[in-house]
Amino acid sequence: MVGMSVVRSAAAFAARLNPLKYGNNVSRLLTRTIPKTEQVAVRWGHGKELFVVKPSSYYDNRFLRLLKYYLLLTGIPVAAIITYVNVFIGEAELAEIPEGYEPEYWEYYKHPITRFISRNIYDSPVKDYEKMMAAVQIEQEKAEHRLANLEVRRQMRQRGDGPWYQKQAVDKSFIDHSPKASPDN
Amino acid sequence: MAGRDFDKDVYPEPPRRTPADNKQTGLPNPALIASKLFYYSVDLPVTKFRECIDSIQSGKKSVYYHQRFRRVPDLTECEEGDYVCYYEAEMQWRRDYKVDQEIVRVLQERIRACQQREGASAPQNCSKEVQDYDDATKAYMSRYGDLGAYASGRKCLMKQKERMINAQKA
Repeated sequence: MVGMSVVRSAAAFAARLNPLKYGNNVSRLLTRTIPKTEQVAVRWGHGKELFVVKPSSYYDNRFLRLLKYYLLLTGIPVAAIITYVNVFIGEAELAEIPEGYEPEYWEYYKHPITRFISRNIYDSPVKDYEKMMAAVQIEQEKAEHRLANLEVRRQMRQRGDGPWYQKQAVDKSFIDHSPKASPDN
Repeated sequence: MAGRDFDKDVYPEPPRRTPADNKQTGLPNPALIASKLFYYSVDLPVTKFRECIDSIQSGKKSVYYHQRFRRVPDLTECEEGDYVCYYEAEMQWRRDYKVDQEIVRVLQERIRACQQREGASAPQNCSKEVQDYDDATKAYMSRYGDLGAYASGRKCLMKQKERMINAQKA
């Protein structure tokens, strides 16, 4: 392991001081100065190649990359399906209801995807209507029962002849009638 | 209604009576050039595309219908406390509200079609359509006018009661 790093450092040293590389001749080696990188002119013409100091755009680009990825992940299949349906299946045409025929509830929509959703995912509008009417009826019966309950309570409390609002009294045989048993007491 | 079907035969245009061209210059007619340009750049490609797609779809065409609803007892014919009857009457009132809105819309379209047909002589020739639309709008406003977003059959009935009281006072 140590031998490998010695070999690596030797190779790097040899690469740096390679006599075949430009600028490594003997006369220059001892007296050369390191050129400043910003001021070195590269040959290509218009301007100098500059090292522009700016903040990292990695996070911004990562965000845009991920945004595009996740949008297109479902966007492209959905767009493909919708294009296929619109081009190859096509919308329905309006027609008169034939005599004696009761159309299914999904046959009242035009676009094939709407028809599909109505047929396979949603309940029929008649069923929804009936569900709502059932809920309304249950609530109506609850309200009627509550009102009847209040009325019954009122009547039983007032008349006292019902099973509610009864107070248990002591038995008649425990009453001591002796103070009032004779008229001269 | 979003995406309504556009049917050209509903409001047919009468045959054109433009006189023959009486050109007195040798210069080309810019209106003709513009119309030909529009035709070849927009109209023709769109028509060809539509025909192409129609030929792909020419096989199995499904149909859709307009739903017919049975009439149910009105709000005035419901017994008090019968909330199921109230619900059905309310749904029927909402359907009728939508139908009335569409009626007004159709009358507006008629005025538009008439104006497009007649062009400059519209104020003279479209007076029947305008009169129909005015009557329908007055009736609509008197029935559904200021009910607002939370309109219901009950509020409409109360408005009708107000109208009848005011009519009796006057």
